[in-house]
Amino acid sequence: MSIAVTSAGVSATRAPVRVGELALGLSIAAFLLVFVAWPAVAVTYVAFTEKGTGAFTLINFQDFARTDLFVRSLWNSIYVGAATVAWASVIALPLAVLTTRFSFRGAIVIQTLGFVPLIMPPFVGAVAMQMLFGRNGTINLLLSDWFDVRIPFMEGLNGVIFVEALHYFPFILINVSASLRNIDRAMEEAAQNLGCSGFRLLRRIVLPLAAPGYMAGASLVFVKVFDDLATPLLLNVKDMLAPQAYLRITSIGIADPMGYVIAVVLVVMSVASMGLAALATRGVDYATVQRGGGGIARRSLRPAESFAAYLVVGFILLLVLAPHIGLLLLSFATVWSFSPLPDALTTAHYVRVFSESGVYIKNTILYASLAGLIDVVVGTAIAWLVLRTKLSFRHWLDWGATAALAFPGVVIGIGYLRAFYDVRLFGGAPLATLWIMIVLAVAVRRLPYALRASHAALLQISRSLEEAAENLGATRQRAVRRIVLPLMTGGILAGFVTSFATAAVELSATLLLVQSNSDAPLAYGVYVFMQSPAGRGAGAALGVVTVIIVCACALLAQFGIERSQNAKGALQ
Amino acid sequence: MNRFAFGALLGIFAVQAALAQAPTGKVTVVTSFAKDVTDPYKKAFEKAYPGLSLEVQNRNTNAAVKFIEETKSANATDLMWASAPDAFEVLKGKGLLTKYQLKAQGIPEKVGSYPINDPGGFYFGFAASGYGIMWNERYVRANKLPDPQEWSDLSKPIYFDHVAIAAPSRSGTTHLTIETILQGEGWDKGWRTIKQIAGNLRQVTDRSFDVPEQVNSGQVGVGIVIDFFAFSAQAAGFPVKFVYPSVTTVVPANLAIIANPPNRAGAEAFVEFLLSPAGQEVLLEPSIRRLPVNPAIYAKAPADYPNPFKDPRFTKMISFSSEKSEQRTDAVDVLFDQMITFQLAGLKAATKSIQAAEAALDKKDNVQARALIAEARDAVAAMPVSDVQAGSAETRAAFTGAKEKTARQAEIEQRWSAFAKEQYAKAQAKADEALKLTR
Amino acid sequence: MRPGPQSDGRHQAAGVEISGVNLSYGANHVLKDVELNIEPGEFFAFLGPSGCGKTTLLRLIAGFNVADSGEVRIAGRDIGKLPPWKRDVGMVFQSYALWPHMSVRRNVAFGLEERRLPRAEIAARVAAVLDLVGLAAFAERKPSQLSGGQQQRVALARTIVTEPKVLLLDEPLSNLDAKMRVQVRGELHDLQRRLGITTIFVTHDQEEANAICDRIAVMSDGVIQQVGAPRDLYARPANLFVANFLGAANILPGIVTTRDGVSVFDIGGGAFLPIPEDAAIPQGASLVFRPQDACMAPAHQGEPGLDARILSHEFLGSIVRYRLRLGGADVLVDTPFHAGSEILSNGSTVAFSLMAKAGVWLEK
Repeated sequence: MSIAVTSAGVSATRAPVRVGELALGLSIAAFLLVFVAWPAVAVTYVAFTEKGTGAFTLINFQDFARTDLFVRSLWNSIYVGAATVAWASVIALPLAVLTTRFSFRGAIVIQTLGFVPLIMPPFVGAVAMQMLFGRNGTINLLLSDWFDVRIPFMEGLNGVIFVEALHYFPFILINVSASLRNIDRAMEEAAQNLGCSGFRLLRRIVLPLAAPGYMAGASLVFVKVFDDLATPLLLNVKDMLAPQAYLRITSIGIADPMGYVIAVVLVVMSVASMGLAALATRGVDYATVQRGGGGIARRSLRPAESFAAYLVVGFILLLVLAPHIGLLLLSFATVWSFSPLPDALTTAHYVRVFSESGVYIKNTILYASLAGLIDVVVGTAIAWLVLRTKLSFRHWLDWGATAALAFPGVVIGIGYLRAFYDVRLFGGAPLATLWIMIVLAVAVRRLPYALRASHAALLQISRSLEEAAENLGATRQRAVRRIVLPLMTGGILAGFVTSFATAAVELSATLLLVQSNSDAPLAYGVYVFMQSPAGRGAGAALGVVTVIIVCACALLAQFGIERSQNAKGALQ
Repeated sequence: MNRFAFGALLGIFAVQAALAQAPTGKVTVVTSFAKDVTDPYKKAFEKAYPGLSLEVQNRNTNAAVKFIEETKSANATDLMWASAPDAFEVLKGKGLLTKYQLKAQGIPEKVGSYPINDPGGFYFGFAASGYGIMWNERYVRANKLPDPQEWSDLSKPIYFDHVAIAAPSRSGTTHLTIETILQGEGWDKGWRTIKQIAGNLRQVTDRSFDVPEQVNSGQVGVGIVIDFFAFSAQAAGFPVKFVYPSVTTVVPANLAIIANPPNRAGAEAFVEFLLSPAGQEVLLEPSIRRLPVNPAIYAKAPADYPNPFKDPRFTKMISFSSEKSEQRTDAVDVLFDQMITFQLAGLKAATKSIQAAEAALDKKDNVQARALIAEARDAVAAMPVSDVQAGSAETRAAFTGAKEKTARQAEIEQRWSAFAKEQYAKAQAKADEALKLTR
Repeated sequence: MRPGPQSDGRHQAAGVEISGVNLSYGANHVLKDVELNIEPGEFFAFLGPSGCGKTTLLRLIAGFNVADSGEVRIAGRDIGKLPPWKRDVGMVFQSYALWPHMSVRRNVAFGLEERRLPRAEIAARVAAVLDLVGLAAFAERKPSQLSGGQQQRVALARTIVTEPKVLLLDEPLSNLDAKMRVQVRGELHDLQRRLGITTIFVTHDQEEANAICDRIAVMSDGVIQQVGAPRDLYARPANLFVANFLGAANILPGIVTTRDGVSVFDIGGGAFLPIPEDAAIPQGASLVFRPQDACMAPAHQGEPGLDARILSHEFLGSIVRYRLRLGGADVLVDTPFHAGSEILSNGSTVAFSLMAKAGVWLEK
C-alpha cells in the first residue's frame, strides 16, 4: 500500500480534510475492519446472544460477574499483569539507565541481547525454563543438595510473574532507552546547576522525562501478560483470564459462550489499559519536543563502579537468557531428567530436524517478513494520519489497530476461518486456505508494535522538514517519500524487527490456519516435533534454529538502524 | 502455494481416480499424532500405494475438530486420525463424517471391553492403548516413594503432590479412563476414588502429552498416561517405568473419513491400509509402540509386548456402556474441571489436613476424631449431582448449543464449583478439628 | 508540469498583493484584514514582536496556512488555492529545516529534482549556487557537519537555486551569534540585490529590518500598523506602537495650552515645550521624539532651553544616554561621545531643547 496522497488541485491546501488523506484513512479503516473487526466479531458475537433464541443479551456478562472462577481469574490477571510490570521494570530500568547514561562497553551487549528474550518459540521456552527453575530444575536440585531448600520460582501466580517478567521486560527496556536518548542534555545540566545530582537527579529529572517511553512499554507489557496463555498453562495456573478463554474456546464439544465473553473482557481490559497509559502521558511527552537533544550526558565509570555494573548486567543477562541457555542444553541433551544437567550431549536432534527445517525456515522468513512489512506500512500510515492530518476518525484507526493486540490468537485463528473460508477464489479454493491469510492473522496482532515505533519516530521529525520539501516543489506524497520516510527509517526498522521477531514465533493463530506442511512455519514445526513423547530434543533443536535465524535477521535490521542513525547525524 | 492450481490438480486426480482402478493423488489427513507415529505410516503407505501421497496436517485434537467444522463448506480434508473417541463422536454428531463399510478382515468386535469400531460405521479403531501409571525412577528414588502398582496406591498420603493427570475435558483418552472408573465403581464411589487420587495431584495438565513430558523431565514423579507415551520415552532412554494396574482401560485410537472428502478413493485406501496386516504391523515400531487391533499381529511382536486380547488385566474390565458415557460426557468433564481442575488448591488443602489427621490417628486412636475424619472424607466425596441428573436431558441441554432456551452452562458451573468449594472447606475444618483431638 | 522557473539567471521579479486577509484559529483572530502591496524586486520585512502574526502571514504566502477570507496574488495571479508545492515561493525556515539524511548537494538539488530538470542542468545549477554562497567545498558534507552560518547558507542556497518568484525568510538570522548576524545580513542584502528577487523577511529585530530592507510592515496583534521605508517609520511613526517598537523613543503625554499668546505643549511640572506653527495636534496626544533629537547643555553655559536635572546615564560607546527629569516627566537624551568628551555627573542641571521638527504628536 502506498501513501496515496493525491495532488488534486481542488483540495490541495492544508484544509481540514483532503481527498488523499481521506482515501488513505478509509483504506486503512477497511483493512482493520476486514482483517481485525470482522473475524473478531464473527467469533465473539456469540457472547452477546441469548442461548436458544439468539437474541441480543448481556446475560452472559452477568454470568461472568456471578461466577467465582471468572472473577477470581480477572483479579489474578490484573495482579499478575501489574506485578509483572513492576518486576520487568526492576530488570529493565537499571539496564536502560546503565546503557544510556554511562559510556560502558557492556551497553552494546545489552542493546543486542536485551531483545532476545522476546524471541522464544512456543512450548520449548517454557519447558527449558522448567528444566532450570522448576521444582526439580537445575537450580532447585542443586539447592536441595547443598542446603536442603527449594525456591518456588515457578509456583502459582508468582511463578507466572517471574517467567513473564523475564520474557517481556524488553518492551520496557527498548522504550525507556529510546526516551532517555532523546532527553535534552540541557535538562539534566540545568538540574545539576541547581544542585541536584546522583540518584536525586535520576529520580527527579531523568526518569520523569523518560516517563512517556516507560508508560508505552509498561502498557505493552501489561497487555501482553494479560493476553498470554502459554505461560500460565505451562505453570499449571488456570485461574487467569487468558487461559480460561483458551481452555473454553478450544475444548471439544463445548458450545458455551463464556469463552467468547472472556475474550471480549480481555479486549476491553487491554484497550482500557492502553488508553489509560495514553491518558497518563497526555501532555507530558516532553522528551520528543526538545530540539538539539543529543541524549543525556554519558559518564565514564570508575573501575569499581565498572566492575559493579558488569556484575549487575551479567547477572541480569544470565537470568533473562536462562530460557535460551536451557533451550540450547535441551537441544543437545540425550536424556535430561531429574538432574542438574543433561546426562550426555548429542547432535542427533539437529540431524533429525535438519532435513525438514528447510521448508519451515523458508516459510517463517517469508511470513514474518511479510507480516513485518504489512505492520510497518499500515503502522506508519496510521502514525502519519494521526500526527499529520486532521482526519476525524484518525484516532479510531489508532485504537482499532491497538485492539488487535488484545485478541487471543486462537480467536483470530477461528475468526479467520469463519470469516474467510466461505470467500471463494477462482476455482473454488477458499480464501482462508491461502498462506497469505496466515501472514495477515499474524500481522494484525503485531500491528501495535510497528504503530508505536512509527509514531515515536514521526513525533521526532520536525514538521518544517516536510514543509521545506513542499515549499521546494515536492507534493505531500513526495515529501513523505523523500523526507519523512527516510528519516523514520530507524523507527520503522525497530517496529519491523519487533513485528518480525514475534511473528516468527507465533503459534496460536497459525495452528488453525496452516493448511499443509509445505505452508507451515517454524513455530508449527516446533510444535509438531515437541509432541513426540520421546523427549523434547528435536523440538528444542528446531527452537534453537528459530532463535538463531530470528536473531540474525533482527541483528541485520539493527545494523541497518545504526547505519541510518549515523546517516541522520546529530542535527536532530 | 497456489491453491487454485492445487484445486485444479485435485480435480484432475479425481477424474483419473474414477477412470483407473488404483487410487492416485494426495490424501490429506488431519491428525493429533506426533511425527513419530505419522512418519513411519507415511512411508509405509506411500510404498504400498505408489500413486498416493499422504499429506499430514498436524493439529491438536480440538483444533482439528474446529478446523474441520469451520472448513466444511469446501472441505479439503480426507481423514481425521486421532486418539480421542469423543472427538469423533462430536464430528459424527455434526454430520462431518462419511459412513464406510470396512473390507479388512480379522478385526474382532471388541478390545478389552471397548468396542473397536463405531457401531454406526463412521469411525474405526486401528490401534489400542492401555492406561497405566508411569513414573520417573530418579524422582521416585530421590523422594523415597514406593513404586506404584495400582490406582488405589495413588491415593496414599505418600504420593501427595507427586501425581499428574491430563484434564478429561482436554484429553479424550483421560476422559475415557475417568468414565471407565465411574462405570466400574459406580457414580458416587467412582468419584470418591477419583477425588482421593486428585487430592494428591501436583498438576492437571491441559494436553495429554504434558503428563509424560513432566514425568520424563522429573518435574512430576508419577503420571497417569497411555502406555505408548511411556514405551516411547523408555525407547528414547528416559529413566521411566510403566505399569498397567490390575484393572486397566483400553482406549482405541481412531480413524474416520470426513464428509465430502476430496479424494475418497485415496481416503478409503488409507483406512484399509491401516487395518491391513501390513498397516497393523507398523504399530510395533519402537517409536510408536501401540497395540494392534488385529490379534494375529501379536505373533510378530517382541516377547514382552502386552496383548490386550490375552492379558487378563485388559479383559477384567467390566462391560462399558458407550451410550451412558455419551449422555454425560460434558457433565463428567465439567464436574472434573469445576471440582478438581479449578479447585485443586482447596481440594489439596482438605486432603492434606485429612492425611495429617489420619497419620496422627494411627499413633493415637480417638473415636471422635475417627468419626470427624470419616465426615471429612464424605464431604470431599460429596457430589452436587447424581448420575441420573448428570445424564439427564436438562443437564445435557445446558452444555450443548441447544435450540431452546435452557439453563446456561455458566450457571451450572458456578453452582457446582461453589458446592465443591464449600465441601472442601468443610472437610478441611473437620479434619483440622480431628487433628486437634488426637493431640 | 508546473510552470518551470526561468533559468536566464535574472528573475522576472514578481509583486505580492495581499488583500483583505483574515485568519483565525478557533476564537483566536490571528490576522485581521491584512492589506499589503509588495513591489516586484523589493526587499520587504514583516516586523513585530512574537505572536504578532508575522510568521503566520509568511506561511500563508507559502501555502502552509489557509486564509479564512481574502486573496494572495503573486504577479497578479491568485495563489490562495494552490498547494505549497505549486506556488513557486521559496522559503528559508527559521530552523533551516535541512534534511539530515542528505548531503549538502542533495539538499540543494532537491527542488530541481522535483522539477524534473535534466541531470546535467541540476548539477550545474547546484554547483553554481554553492559557489555563490561559498560552500562549494562542503557539497558532500552532511548538514550536521556544518556550522550554524554554513547551515544557514545551505538553506538559502537550497531555496534560491529553484529561482522562486518570491523568497520568504523566516527569522533567518535568529540562530546565529551577534557578529555572524551582521555579516550574514549584509550577504543577504547583496544577494538579494544581485538576484533582484522579491524577498519577504520576517524578524522581530528592528535593527535587522532597518539595515537591509527597502520597506517594512510593522505588525502587532494581527494588524499591520504601518508600512513604509525604514527611515520614514523611524522618523514618522504612525502610532505609539510603531514609535516604541522601532528603537528608543520619548513619549510625553501632555496638553496643548496657550502661554504668552503662543501655543505650547504642557507636559506638567511647569515644563512647556514649543509647538511648530503648522502642527495640528489631536486632543490627548503625546509628544514623541527620539533621544538623539533632543539637545542638552550644562546650565552654566547659558544655552537656551528648559531646566532639567540628570537622573542617571548610560555609556553606550558612541553615545552617552542621559535620563533627565524634565518638569513632570523623565526624558532620554543622547549626546555623541568623542575621545575627550566629558560625561556630566548625575544631579547636575542642564538646559534641554528639542530640535526643530523633531517631534511628532501621536494619539494613544
